[in-house]
Amino acid sequence: MPKTYEQINEKIRSGKAVVYTAEEVIDLVRSNGAEKAAEEVDVVTTGTFGAMCSSGAFVNFGHSSPPIRMTDIRLNDVPVDGGLAAVDTYIGATALTTNSKGGYGGAHVIEDLIAGKKIHLHAWGPGTDCYVRKDIDTYITLDDINDAYLYNPRNCYQNYSIATNTSDRTIYTYMGKLLPRMKNATYSSAGQLSPLLNDPHLETIGMGTRIFLGGGEGYVAWPGTQFKTNVEEVNGVPVAGARTLALIGDMKQMDAKYVRGLDITGYGISMAVGIGIPIPILNKEIMERCAISDDQIFADMVDYSQPVDRPPMARYSYAQLRTGKVEYNGKHIRTSSMSSYSGARDVANRLKDWIEHGEFMLNKPADVPFPKERKLNKLEERRC
Amino acid sequence: MMTEKKFKINFTESNVQDSVAYILVSEFDLRPNILKAEISGDGSGVMILSLVGDEEKLVKAEERLEEAGFDIKELEKRIHRDECLCWNCGACTSICPTGCISMDPKTFLINFDDSKCIACGACLNSCAVHALGLHI
Repeated sequence: MPKTYEQINEKIRSGKAVVYTAEEVIDLVRSNGAEKAAEEVDVVTTGTFGAMCSSGAFVNFGHSSPPIRMTDIRLNDVPVDGGLAAVDTYIGATALTTNSKGGYGGAHVIEDLIAGKKIHLHAWGPGTDCYVRKDIDTYITLDDINDAYLYNPRNCYQNYSIATNTSDRTIYTYMGKLLPRMKNATYSSAGQLSPLLNDPHLETIGMGTRIFLGGGEGYVAWPGTQFKTNVEEVNGVPVAGARTLALIGDMKQMDAKYVRGLDITGYGISMAVGIGIPIPILNKEIMERCAISDDQIFADMVDYSQPVDRPPMARYSYAQLRTGKVEYNGKHIRTSSMSSYSGARDVANRLKDWIEHGEFMLNKPADVPFPKERKLNKLEERRC
Repeated sequence: MMTEKKFKINFTESNVQDSVAYILVSEFDLRPNILKAEISGDGSGVMILSLVGDEEKLVKAEERLEEAGFDIKELEKRIHRDECLCWNCGACTSICPTGCISMDPKTFLINFDDSKCIACGACLNSCAVHALGLHI
């Protein structure tokens, strides 16, 4: 019998909802079959906790007296956007400090704000008839400022290629430190726990889906940037980066444990975000897809020492990758993850806990379909 | 009793040409394994070595080198991980050449086997949250 959102929410409200994490549900479906499991289970919780560079936060500082129209704004020496209204800004996660010590950026400002720390605000403006002031130097906290919400244009990548390095020197990439001559390879997906690998064609996830974002409640806002569908699938899921999500959520609810500034040597700043998406088990097919396991999810390995055109070199399952080594042409390559699997598991468990205790209701997405088919355009270099 | 200890020896211009390894082998029957050795432009140097041998002889060898004017220190704590900062991504595990750092296959938390650390420092800049430190 198919279920509806209303029926599932009624069970959540009465504390009777049956919730499994995407990891726990694998064995249940294997032993009982998808049909029986779909009758028993109401919600499957997914989780991911990895580096997501396309993230950031909108902030409104409130007006000073006399007021200022800020056009050049620094938070803890990190330049943030001065192109919005007088006291609004967007903190881009990858913005780098102007301090020569480095190692700190927009993502760290966001983490420190969520942690309740004081942040140094230094801003300048042109001085106008309506905003006479030309500079301000003060300290803010998350409690003081009117608004602070994450708006991440691209999170939750549906799978991602594995990175290795065939060259003779160590290279430093957003996929981490890659040792010469394929001594190691790095990967980033949470695999069987990852939201978009459990609902690969976005049957239940859409604009307005309520989610766990950075320890608080957030929402799916839009398809993520670089959303694409023309990627080869194995076992019903893509073997490389495909769909993505744009997410939004109130920073005042968040926990700095799930929003971490990253200083990736040789690359720059990124932000690790803990995200959990609940999947309502409306029917048997949705249940089947939630039972996918690491041995059924594959990713292609590519050579990051090539600046362009990185053809797939080999394909491995996440079960193989998680053993810490894979074999390539008779040689062992050590593997490691760029995202925290224990963190993803923690997120899925926290979300499960919220739902079981009736603290988190499912929100049916708006009737705004995300692209069924989409290819990406290249950036053309034109003279005029 | 056979045991293994790791030491850091600082050399100065006056003793940088002496063969520490020869003293350790010929006088104390120890098995040295030089993990790292560097001489800088001013003639000073640093060596990190592991020594395997009789526990009593190890103590005597350390005294002998001290008397000979070498600045020798046993390395007890090598790589240090700040557990409050570490988010257990595991990026360091594929960098470590000795398997000192590994991912627990069940909990997916980082395991540290201090005895395998050779203080090479390769893992330090693989950590994006600055949770790793090397105190030698």
